Amino acid sequence: MLSHPQAYFMHEVANNPRGKGVLACIQCGRCTSSCPVARVVEEHNPRKLMEMIILGLRSDVLNERLPWYCLSCFTCLDRCPQGGDVGEVMFAIRNMTVREGKIPEGILVQASSLFENGRVVTSSKMASIQREKRGLGKEPTVDVEAVRKILTKTRFDRLINKGT
Amino acid sequence: MQKAVVVIGGGVAGIQASLDLANRGFKVYLVERTPSIGGRMAQLDKTFPTMDCSMCILAPKMIECSHHPNVQLLSYSEVKEARGSVGNFTVKVLRKPRYVDERKCTGCGICSENCPTEAPNEFDENIGVRKAIYMPFPQAVPRVALIDKESCVECGLCEKVCPAGAVNRGQQPQEIELNVGAIVVATGYDMFDPSVIRHFGYGRFKNVISAMELERLLCASGPTGGHLIRPSEGKIPRHIAFIQCVGSRDRREWIDHPYCSSICCKYAVKDAVLIKEHETDSRVSIFYIDMRAFGRGFQEFVNRAKSEFGIEFIRSNPGEISEDPATSNLVISFEDPITRTVQTNRYNLVVLCPALIPSKGMPELAKILGIELDNYGFVKMEDSVRKPLDTTVPGIFCCGYCLGPKTGDIPDSITQGSATAGRVAVVLATEEAI
Amino acid sequence: MKYAFFAGCLIPAREPQYENSVRKIAPRLGIELVNMEGTNCCAPFGIQSLDYTSWLALAARNLCKAEEMGLNIVTLCNDCYESLLMTNVILKENKETRDKVNEVLADVGLEFKGKVDVKIFSDVLHEDVGLENVKNAVTRPFKGLRVAVQPGCHLSKPKRIHFEQWAGMTALDELVEATGAKSIAYERKEACCGGPLRGINDQVALQVAKQKLDSMKSAGVNCIVTVCPFCYLELDMGQIEIKRHTNEEYGLPVLSFAELLRLAMGMNLEDWEINAHRIPIAGILEMTEAK
Repeated sequence: MLSHPQAYFMHEVANNPRGKGVLACIQCGRCTSSCPVARVVEEHNPRKLMEMIILGLRSDVLNERLPWYCLSCFTCLDRCPQGGDVGEVMFAIRNMTVREGKIPEGILVQASSLFENGRVVTSSKMASIQREKRGLGKEPTVDVEAVRKILTKTRFDRLINKGT
Repeated sequence: MQKAVVVIGGGVAGIQASLDLANRGFKVYLVERTPSIGGRMAQLDKTFPTMDCSMCILAPKMIECSHHPNVQLLSYSEVKEARGSVGNFTVKVLRKPRYVDERKCTGCGICSENCPTEAPNEFDENIGVRKAIYMPFPQAVPRVALIDKESCVECGLCEKVCPAGAVNRGQQPQEIELNVGAIVVATGYDMFDPSVIRHFGYGRFKNVISAMELERLLCASGPTGGHLIRPSEGKIPRHIAFIQCVGSRDRREWIDHPYCSSICCKYAVKDAVLIKEHETDSRVSIFYIDMRAFGRGFQEFVNRAKSEFGIEFIRSNPGEISEDPATSNLVISFEDPITRTVQTNRYNLVVLCPALIPSKGMPELAKILGIELDNYGFVKMEDSVRKPLDTTVPGIFCCGYCLGPKTGDIPDSITQGSATAGRVAVVLATEEAI
Repeated sequence: MKYAFFAGCLIPAREPQYENSVRKIAPRLGIELVNMEGTNCCAPFGIQSLDYTSWLALAARNLCKAEEMGLNIVTLCNDCYESLLMTNVILKENKETRDKVNEVLADVGLEFKGKVDVKIFSDVLHEDVGLENVKNAVTRPFKGLRVAVQPGCHLSKPKRIHFEQWAGMTALDELVEATGAKSIAYERKEACCGGPLRGINDQVALQVAKQKLDSMKSAGVNCIVTVCPFCYLELDMGQIEIKRHTNEEYGLPVLSFAELLRLAMGMNLEDWEINAHRIPIAGILEMTEAK
């Protein structure tokens, strides 16, 4: 499993807006000990992920499976005594993974829905009719145009095309 | 120039400073807030790494203090005001009423035997009980009883049975004024309350205790006579875990003790060895981040703990402790450093090693004396390199753990006590602030 | 008390009963919810995982809309809350990031000025309306209701952001107990329900949900009360799915806290609302004292 270690990887992560916590990690293991997913999925181990980053195992970390078990529940982040912000580092890793075109299917579905409808969970015609019937009125309008403009400006659209 | 000194705090550091100064011929007023001197060392069973009986080392010093012609022991007293400057301080001390005449009491204990009321025993970290009229602990110095008026039901029995007629239920607090040339602060430490770190269950689970509570359980003069039993039902635990760094090395804002408390790894190993000595077939695990066993004999002690005593050292900081309500046993979730998977271990007793924090009352005392404290509330040194025992006020010195985790063990406290005595002696002898 | 009401996407589309209860109890507590039109997705964690600036820009657009309305935003969903709140905090504190995001927002004619606050409905009830007023509005208290309160991850974590509202955990307990129900302590109360992995890794999501349901069951509760619609979905639907896989049954009905309050304030749920719950709630309805 050990790929060729790349010394700068830890700093690449640390320079990501959500990744600087990796510099504080002392490998105490409290994050993994607290993680609800680590308890049931052996492969998901926040401390180990931080360790792999520190060791520079770039291609082992940036894959389409490893960083995607995280629930972003922030239990690890809250319990880390050193400000390692593991939950935030997870986001940084995912952002970096996405840039390399590795995106899990479920997330791609959400992204496509966002681009097409301006929201992740969309309404059905049936749901709209029922809302009217029950006196709830229409759902709040969504400005899809604005969403597309924003996502084009940030090149989000290119990111998700890369993954498909 | 007053050739006298007030030492605030009767722990081992304060005691050492007092003795050195007294032996040099200076007058020492040793002010101690609790009813007896001795401090934390008096609460311990054994010291590390030599496994000497703590009280056996300390008691002779305590007695020397009480008998020394140059030491006036002001126990159960507090400093209320300090004016003046180096060479000439006026210190007001409030002597709290014991409701027992110190001159008459012989320490026989008949009053306590007859007292009908019980209250939690502070010296035993509230594990055991004591009576409303009580002796703080068997080796207390001064060996004088006191009445806790809050628990007292005013039945008057103690007064009736006291053979020395020492009970004085109408005693008033007494304020005395002392003129001294220097002041020594030796107020020691408290333990951080680990109930803030909720997932460890302290305060919620009976069998999760803090290290000082363990010391009292292990100590022969403690509430169980030195038998280690579980708080829940009194059975002997066979599976014990220690968790290090509970609050120490923690940078989170609501905890804010980013420092290493410097003695917990050592005392945990000591306690683990003690437990194994008591119950040889018990399983003892220490969950640590780093094993900081620096200095004389400690690494060797740790090595022995592993090889000779079979203590399990697990390099992992646990995530959660949960309780089995039927048995009051604890389950610790942690990442096993060998298999790299999350495991759970069952224990009968879990000991948390909390961060060491400044003594409560420190902020108030600092204000009275005009000395500065650092961000964690420990005494700030005038110059940490060149004058590490001077406070920011000339003529006021400090020693022991009130300086913070620079103190690594009891010999360090004693060394600092002597060193501070040296600093004070120069001030008193030469009439100069240096 | 007037707020810009950010409904999110899940509740209006899939859990309209939650929205309905909120709209019914709000006026009775003096809360005016002004609909926000032309909003967009808050950019919850799945979208945040893809790109940082996109997340901030999307979330900020909603904040700008509220700024235009001159009102603070109130959300119902924990994920919307987390996304909008964190964005608000980051952009208020970090000039460089704010400039970058405003560059993107300029394309849609908006500018983030940092003028509004983000709140979640439960905190509005506890802080702005006040517990006393909520208690006074309860006319039909529950009897015998033992609740496992599920605060959801982003109500109290990360603590360094929510420290002021850290009591958000006890606040929720207090709100629940104002209805006459009892909030029962249980292990792992702050733990995640597994909801975020729904659609990405359903098996793991259910395993995490099971951990929560096991803790709740051990504590002897007869009802679960949620804030977050994902928790609601995961714990309600999740029980059905767990039964399908392992045959294990919990039988714990799940209510959103708005529905709980609505019942306690003397209002009845309509049939469609009752039927929307996968685990039947008939038992809970019987525990209101008036019956």
